[in-house]
Amino acid sequence: MFDFIVSKYNYWMYIVLMMIGFYAMIGKNNLVKKIIGMNIFQTAIILFFVSIACKKGGATLPIIKHAHGAEHAIKVSHYLNPLPHVLMLTAIVVMVATLGVAIAIIIKIYREYGTLEENEILRKLK
Amino acid sequence: MIVPFDLIILIFVLICALAAITIKDLLSAVIILGAYSFFMCLMWAQMGAVDVAFTEASVSASIGTILLITAVFKTTRRSKD
Amino acid sequence: MKLISLVIVLITGAILIYGTMDMPDWGDPDSPASLHVSPRYITKTLEETATPNMVTSVLADYRGYDTLGETTVIFTAGMVCILLLRSLGGKISKLDT
Repeated sequence: MFDFIVSKYNYWMYIVLMMIGFYAMIGKNNLVKKIIGMNIFQTAIILFFVSIACKKGGATLPIIKHAHGAEHAIKVSHYLNPLPHVLMLTAIVVMVATLGVAIAIIIKIYREYGTLEENEILRKLK
Repeated sequence: MIVPFDLIILIFVLICALAAITIKDLLSAVIILGAYSFFMCLMWAQMGAVDVAFTEASVSASIGTILLITAVFKTTRRSKD
Repeated sequence: MKLISLVIVLITGAILIYGTMDMPDWGDPDSPASLHVSPRYITKTLEETATPNMVTSVLADYRGYDTLGETTVIFTAGMVCILLLRSLGGKISKLDT
């Protein structure tokens, strides 16, 4: 039982983090709070992907040691999995792009309606 | 039993996320989100993903925080929840 | 409204936690993610691209088109920000209205 918890607890932590972000996205009333929730949600998913790349038992960073020296064999178990890191580098940059567009839309909404609360905006729309 | 370093940073990250969505002042929430991004960067460096940690520290913890602070200054600082 | 969203979030979290029961242990070297594609990248990257850093070689050499598409995404986001936030000067706003 204890081994099971130790081998799975980080997945549960990421799920709790994702739940916090999801609740802020659908339950909060303020638009900036929704953006903060979206940021937390995306970061939790990126954290989950990066944790897939982990290897226990002597694996180090995905940079080859003594690359320009003498030839020697490269073992797969000595290095972390580089593929999720690459995909998540792209995801972080896309995250900032969505953040910029969302902030531009929020500033436009504030110029138009003078408030950031969702229910007040809906009342002014009627 | 030795508490792993990983678990400590995870608990800090959870506290920062909860504080960022519950606090009423929007500027404080945005700055706590910056601290959250920095703890997340620390955690990725601990997991061995150094390139991802560099990108997060430069892009999300600085540019994202600056964008959000600009948005808070251009709109309003008060929020009701 | 807050109660409904809290219930939805809790149901989603419960389903995801049920989904983690089948996942491999954390840091398992024999997990499916680290057996399929990445061993080729790890073993061949030095002789094919002469770059010690695997992340950089995969990002810029093997998957260069992906990075090119990412640049397009950032360009589109910048264009959308400019379109939304520019204050329309005299002549253009007269044409619009």
